[in-house]
Amino acid sequence: MSLLKPFSKLPGLNAANILLVENEEQLQQRLADALVEETAVTVNVRLAKTLPLPLKNEKSRPRIDLVVFIINLTSELSLQSAEASLKYLDPGYFLGKVCLLVTNARNASVPPARLDTVRKLAASLHCPLLCAEDQTPDGVTNAAERLLTILKVAAGLVPMTTALYLSNLTRCTVPSDIDQQGFD
Amino acid sequence: MATSQNSSGPPDLDSSSPSDQSACSRSSNRSLRVAEIERRKNEAEDPFVLALKYFSDVEAGTPVTGNDDVERNLVAVERVAYSKGLPPEAISIMLEFAMSLRMGTSPCVRVLKCLIPATVVPQEAVVRAVVWLCVGKIPLSTQVLFIKWVLTMFDMIDAKDQLHSIYGFLFSFVTEENLVCVVMILLHLRLFRVRKLLDLQSKMGRQPFLMHLLSLYKVFCPELVTLSLPSRMKAGFRNHNSQWKSALIAVQKKNSFQVTSSVSLTVRLKDKTNPRKRKHNHLEVPALSSAVNTQTNPSSSRKLVPLVQLHSFSLLLENLHHIELPAQMGSLLGSSLALQYLDCVQDESAFLRLNFWLGHALHEEFLFCSSGVSQNSEEVLQFLDRLLSSQHFLQEGFSSTEAFLYKFLNIWDGSLLRPQILGMLSNIPVVPSSCIRQLLFEPLMQLFFTSTLFFKCGLIECLNSMLLKWLTWHSVYALEDGLDISLNSHTSINMTLSGFKDSLMELVHFVGRLASVGLQIEGCHSLLLSFILDFYETVCDMFLKYGLPLVVMPPAGVFYPALFATDPVSVDRLAHIMYRYKVNLMSAKTQEKQTEQAFHISRQTYREFNHYLVVMVNCLWNSKMFQPGMGVEMEEELLVSSKVPQYWSSFDFIHHPAFLSYAVDFHHKVGHPKPWGWYLEYLYAQGFEGLKQFVQSNISRRSTAGDGQGDGLSADQR
Repeated sequence: MSLLKPFSKLPGLNAANILLVENEEQLQQRLADALVEETAVTVNVRLAKTLPLPLKNEKSRPRIDLVVFIINLTSELSLQSAEASLKYLDPGYFLGKVCLLVTNARNASVPPARLDTVRKLAASLHCPLLCAEDQTPDGVTNAAERLLTILKVAAGLVPMTTALYLSNLTRCTVPSDIDQQGFD
Repeated sequence: MATSQNSSGPPDLDSSSPSDQSACSRSSNRSLRVAEIERRKNEAEDPFVLALKYFSDVEAGTPVTGNDDVERNLVAVERVAYSKGLPPEAISIMLEFAMSLRMGTSPCVRVLKCLIPATVVPQEAVVRAVVWLCVGKIPLSTQVLFIKWVLTMFDMIDAKDQLHSIYGFLFSFVTEENLVCVVMILLHLRLFRVRKLLDLQSKMGRQPFLMHLLSLYKVFCPELVTLSLPSRMKAGFRNHNSQWKSALIAVQKKNSFQVTSSVSLTVRLKDKTNPRKRKHNHLEVPALSSAVNTQTNPSSSRKLVPLVQLHSFSLLLENLHHIELPAQMGSLLGSSLALQYLDCVQDESAFLRLNFWLGHALHEEFLFCSSGVSQNSEEVLQFLDRLLSSQHFLQEGFSSTEAFLYKFLNIWDGSLLRPQILGMLSNIPVVPSSCIRQLLFEPLMQLFFTSTLFFKCGLIECLNSMLLKWLTWHSVYALEDGLDISLNSHTSINMTLSGFKDSLMELVHFVGRLASVGLQIEGCHSLLLSFILDFYETVCDMFLKYGLPLVVMPPAGVFYPALFATDPVSVDRLAHIMYRYKVNLMSAKTQEKQTEQAFHISRQTYREFNHYLVVMVNCLWNSKMFQPGMGVEMEEELLVSSKVPQYWSSFDFIHHPAFLSYAVDFHHKVGHPKPWGWYLEYLYAQGFEGLKQFVQSNISRRSTAGDGQGDGLSADQR
């Protein structure tokens, strides 16, 4: 099994590398365009549909600091593809170098059980769960900014903060079913 | 082709045309007939018609799995349903097919979900479906789905007289799940129905679902239900997810009908200020109108004045006891007069209705929206701003907003409608400490640490505002003598003083944690530090300004970044905050001794304060930085190797990075060395009030001629 390993290569100087994995290949391009606008740090964005990544690029590929799985909640296939891809990550990534990004969380046609499944998955992996509004350019810009916040920490560019430390603060929790009367 | 028919042509095939018809009408008859034959031929091949025929003729027990016919026909029906809506006959046929369970339960759910009417729903279809419901083979979830469907389409049922007579059957299906649905159907209830419920209640006791049902009745027809209901029933409405609603709106838009909502509380009126015709009406705040009360008790002798007729405050005061609330409670949001009345009267049912409408509108627009709806439209912003200003006017939030926010925070991306959401968040009432972490802190923490600096600042400001509101609420509602704050207002929060203090402590500690780690991650950014110091300016005065016997010191992660900040304003504000802490603590100590009240500031708090004070004075005044016990400790060798001369004075009033420029300035202006006092006066003159208060309250200086630097520290130590 060709696992993607987090520490097998040396990091670049003032650079951060992010991998966006999305089955539909819709949002990742727009996110990538927003991410490369960052000027303080050189951000390299790599896109993939699923993992494992093709072997032929193995040598030239830099060290990936953050792997983001983009899950479209309106499609069950998206979730399944992300779950299958997760198996191709070295366990070292789950110390704060993985992140789940969901879209269409507010959509009426999404069965609520699906978001719960994603939440439980994120909680079990101790990785943050971000919700993104992909319908508007502002939403995409905001999602990119949030990813950059995590990416800078994961790439070691923020002093006194490691990826593991941040993942402890941002880890997803599964809220128990809150009855509307329950909080009285 | 019909028009070119020669009137003197040969007789046509149809021999039924009457012989006394003129040739002209015969030809027109023929053209009509030909058109009819054409139409029937088209229809016969139309997949939709074929599908309907299939569903009306299919035999019971036909298998579903692997049956391509069923799939094909269902798809055909669904296609028509979602594009144009189903005609009444189609609804009859499909409903009959589904509820009879001829092909098992699996197609039943799918069919129910696609039953979007184009015009009306025939009453007989609904009645027959209820009959099938009573047969008893349908699973519970499907029953619920059916009842929800009836509720959603209720307004579109063409006649309701037969339905009225079978309400009894519907009643028997009352369980906690579909409670709300059934009651909404029974909006046109008659007096005996309520009596029956009351009888049931007296037999069965105060069952929770009965109480719920009665409280709902009280909402809509308050004059019929006279018993008092516990105020806990305030938010018992499960705003159900109606996927039909969005499909219905889409279909009706296509057929250009005026959109109506099944919940009769929402609008039908156009906003008078905006002439543009609106399609999505559920967000509009309706114009204030008088209640449509068709069931007014004729024997009622009180003359009720509808709220819409009152235009000034004096009129409101005159008629305070005979005001009739409008049918559409949402209209109250626009009018400050109405809000004042609502706040004063504290009518449970009015708030229930308002909260129901508001919760419904918020859920529809933000939580269960259909894809592609633009969220930042003018309408949405206007609605939220109006809601915010109403909350600001009433100086508290609505319970439905609170419930909505807890759900919304879990799926928020942090930037959608940020100012409005943060505004609403700051208005939520005091959350009990048992659930504050899960409801509020966890989603906020996840958002805080993954968002940008500006979100962090915004959230700290929101939490500061929330703290202020909670403190104000406490100082208004707390009883003078007791420790118990039992709330009897419409917010219905029962909270003791200790419970309130717990929640407050949780909030302050939470912000302390956010602040410490946030400053670390953002590199002690001065904007973030400024918002954090705002928060602690509120916290330091909790005892004196708001009468709450609670003093919480800032964490080290906030104190030291502020002390060593490179901008003088932060240091000045920290000095002010430390001064206020001292005043509060001294006052608490004297009060504790005098009045012997049960409050008690722990030794730990005093110790923390003293430690901070000593560090600050030693650092700024005594030039004793880096000494053991002074907070920041470093090894001597390390300090020497840094080659900073006189490192112990590197953070005093002269050498502190924030004040170095002032010291140089002073030196240039004055020339030869001058006493410390002059330099301090110069600093005070620059506007550093905090420093002035701090120095004057903590540092006593022997006023000798040559004001040296080694003046003693006099701090109030316990």
